[in-house]
Amino acid sequence: MSVRASFEPNETTDESRSLRERVADNPGPARFWLLGTAVLVALEFGRYMGWAQQLVGAVKYVIGLVGLIPTWIGDSVGEATVPIVSYFVSDAITLVLLFGIAVLVTRFTSWSAVDQFDLGLSDRLVRFLERAVLTVVLATIAVLFAFTPVGGLVNGAIDGVFNTLSSIPTLTSREVISNQGHRTPGGGWDGTFLGLSPAVAWGIRTLLVYGYALTMIVWTWKGYTIFREHYRKADWTPRDDTLRRFRTHYWGLFGLIVVLMFIVTALWAPAISPTTADQNIASPYEYEIEYLNDDGDVVTTTPGQANLNSQSNGQNTIGPMSYDDYDRWSPLGTTSSGQNLLTHIAYGAQTSLVIGLLAIGLGGLIAVTMSMLTAYYKGIVDILTVITSDTIISIPAFLLVMMLSVIFNQGNHPIAEPLNGGLLLGLIFAFVYWPGMWRTIRGPSLQVAEEEWVDAARSYGQTPVNTMRKHMAPYIAGYIMIYGSLLLGGIIISTAALSFLGLGIEGSTPEWGRLINDGRSFVGTSSWHVATIPGLMIVLVVTAFNALGDGLRDAIDPEADTGGTDDTGTAAAGGGG
Amino acid sequence: MSHEVSHEPIATETDVPTDSDGDVMIEVEGLKTYYENSGLLGGKPVKAVDGVSFDIRRGETLGLVGESGCGKTTLGRTLLQLEDATDGEIRFDGVDITTLGGDDLHEWRRNAQMVFQDPESSLNDRMTIGEIVREPLDVHEWETPQARRQRVKELLDTVGLQREHYYRYPHQFSGGQRQRISIARTLALEPDFVVLDEPVSALDVSVQAEIINLLEDLQNEFGLTYLFIAHDLSVVHHLCDRVAVMYLGNIMEIGPTEELFTDPANPYTHALLSAIPEPDPTVERDRITLHGTPPNPRYPPAGCPFSTRCPARIRPAEYRDLDDELWNRLNTLRDLLSERQRAERSVRDRLRAVVGKDTRFGTVEETYDELFGDQKVPARVQSVLDEIATLARNHDEGEAIAVFNEAFGSVCDDEPPAYHDVSDGGHQSYCHRHTNEYRSTDAVLENRHG
Ligand code: SF4
Repeated sequence: MSVRASFEPNETTDESRSLRERVADNPGPARFWLLGTAVLVALEFGRYMGWAQQLVGAVKYVIGLVGLIPTWIGDSVGEATVPIVSYFVSDAITLVLLFGIAVLVTRFTSWSAVDQFDLGLSDRLVRFLERAVLTVVLATIAVLFAFTPVGGLVNGAIDGVFNTLSSIPTLTSREVISNQGHRTPGGGWDGTFLGLSPAVAWGIRTLLVYGYALTMIVWTWKGYTIFREHYRKADWTPRDDTLRRFRTHYWGLFGLIVVLMFIVTALWAPAISPTTADQNIASPYEYEIEYLNDDGDVVTTTPGQANLNSQSNGQNTIGPMSYDDYDRWSPLGTTSSGQNLLTHIAYGAQTSLVIGLLAIGLGGLIAVTMSMLTAYYKGIVDILTVITSDTIISIPAFLLVMMLSVIFNQGNHPIAEPLNGGLLLGLIFAFVYWPGMWRTIRGPSLQVAEEEWVDAARSYGQTPVNTMRKHMAPYIAGYIMIYGSLLLGGIIISTAALSFLGLGIEGSTPEWGRLINDGRSFVGTSSWHVATIPGLMIVLVVTAFNALGDGLRDAIDPEADTGGTDDTGTAAAGGGG
Repeated sequence: MSHEVSHEPIATETDVPTDSDGDVMIEVEGLKTYYENSGLLGGKPVKAVDGVSFDIRRGETLGLVGESGCGKTTLGRTLLQLEDATDGEIRFDGVDITTLGGDDLHEWRRNAQMVFQDPESSLNDRMTIGEIVREPLDVHEWETPQARRQRVKELLDTVGLQREHYYRYPHQFSGGQRQRISIARTLALEPDFVVLDEPVSALDVSVQAEIINLLEDLQNEFGLTYLFIAHDLSVVHHLCDRVAVMYLGNIMEIGPTEELFTDPANPYTHALLSAIPEPDPTVERDRITLHGTPPNPRYPPAGCPFSTRCPARIRPAEYRDLDDELWNRLNTLRDLLSERQRAERSVRDRLRAVVGKDTRFGTVEETYDELFGDQKVPARVQSVLDEIATLARNHDEGEAIAVFNEAFGSVCDDEPPAYHDVSDGGHQSYCHRHTNEYRSTDAVLENRHG
């Protein structure tokens, strides 16, 4: 038709170029920013590699767990029937899993056999064949890894590379600015950074950590403004308004700052702690420390032994900002078992963060997926989801969490191992809280599904998945962020409450709730700090997450009243039991 | 005027003389779209489109007019397969699209597009204009991404926007401009057929004309075929070649625009036309007021869909002398009775009725007083009314309605009318008054409302 006639394909205008080309045109600001980023990354390169290594470890763990599924199901089937069946079943399930992965891979890569070859088959068939071939390739790789030495070699190589990279000293390494040393008979310090006192060395390191993190955040913001000013094609986007509103929302900003500090504390826990969790908490008898004894001699002992004599238990107190008898600096004092309280708090922040993010991430993912599906398809999907979620909601949340965690912990299920049950707890929270999240975003998603642009997308044949992703999910994302941050506070409280009851995380994994439990009998004594400090931290962090949620709500949707505050009330109350 | 009876729906009538360019693009035959009850218990479906048949010819603009809720939007959406047809066929260039699925449907969707009513809601405001207009091209993997971008800019030009608007967001545009963007998206895939669902009703009067002109220009330029949905006749007047008037899921009248305006055949079209403000104040035109609201599409009348409100309804011979006001009251009584009949189905209401607590309708006496208190009711009418009252008091609404219909009902209430050709130009009307037994609509309306 003549629309085509008036169309000239070779015309190029300024706006139709990619980001790379636009940067090439005006490289100044981008180069400046990238240079700064490179310096910042270089300063902490080793630490980033350490995180990457942990991430790889987590991925391996998940793969291992998924790898167990076929045998597990196969064995169950085999037990019920004849054992030989178990092999077929587990092989079949392996193939199904691999096919699922192949589907994901083909979905997220742009290459497709459909565009490359003209086989004279329908598009759907080609796509299916493509996935089948990929499944076979994946299966071959899996067999290669599992039954030949290749797997071990690759694994070892990956570990080796990360081990080397992550041991590179960084700006905030304990080795660079050490605060572990001992007094010398002459009155100075030995083994610490520049011979400074451990308190000062620790102070410098901690300041460096927060200073570095602050710089990183500011630099990221700077990067965004540079992009907006020099490279973004649109001169205005709806997100600009959201940011502008959030920037003047002081309560939300307060929340953001505290939340960021909490996250930084968790990420840099080894640098902020005066001593590492491994040395001080997990295996205190496998290390040695030196100290100046009363007789003026430098002697050696184990941290475990030292802990026994440094307890804060009412009779004996190592309070905040003091040294114990072993020349160890305790910025927040010691716990009732003599361990360093700040080490506990910092590593405990990690535990809370992992549980919280896992719960909100996974629960939110389920909630968003279900809300998209139910809003788009309605009907039977909707009814089933309502029934499922109502069933879960009808059981008091905290009771359900307690029940599930007891069952899995008593059963010594492999999933209860990581973080002494922290992973399990995250999964349980995800399971218990997704119906609540789904309910909160159900209204908005039904509303957005009614918008005419969803119909429009259908009228030109957009696929349901893409319609949900492009035309519905962006409108739900805001709500799930708001509710997620409100709920995160509730989850932190719940985790602490479980530990307080002795049901949550046990063993050597630091956790705030357990500290409160340990210290609660000493609140009236000179060892008040053991329970009080973690308690205040919880209050602060939970408040901050709520503040952040409020800020996000006002920024994202100034008119909407999501009723979020009430929900937190119930979430926190439900969580707090 | 020739009144030939044709009991066949229009589309099957191959011998109906069509316009000079009688190339039929879309044939709709006996189309029904029912919405099932969303609950699990079933119940009566909403009959949004209840058996319509018509053609759309290549290159023409067919107007589809009716009050809100008459099913015109559902009809448009069914034509585009946004709703599933319950029954009937939609043949698009000979292919029945109601049976298409999968890849075939996906391919077909290129041919038919829709411009939505509300420009606020039809554009996803988290996407740039470029992304919005480009999406159909992306979905159908049209040429290269570079070429798609170029085409979007061409399209923006075509609909009277600027190429620089590619990276703007919908928030930055006025209603009229947003509708232009929506039109650009519609054109992206070079469709043959476009459904315009009240494209200007949400816009300021000042920009309505601009958009209408744009649509006309585009039609001429690209040879588009339009189905133009509107809720009043005035908008369709100069844009449409033919107009179909819809009421309660049925097409009441269809014909060439000029003819339909100057010489309406169906009482419903008369009523709609009389509602258009006359631009020339010296011309006297009596406004025909329609009483009541359209019936619930879950329970459409058994006969003519318009029979509950028709100003020209055929009255039984023996009661022809009753005055119009009394007829209105009688109609209201019947509405009340059928409403009661449906409501009585709830168990709770039945129980309350048994213990003598009449529910939300008040007692029969109150109703009668309200309806007929100030009317002179002839004795023969009164006796029927008394009989009805007795039955209603005993909560036997079904029987009461039967008595009512027996006395006051006519062919309008009992039998669905047929489509009658009222001229040679394919002008058809769905009304009993076109048969020779009854007086013509014009005469009756003149008589009753003149
Ligand atoms: S059939 Fe009867 S009720 Fe229907 S439009 Fe004609 S006159 Fe009116």
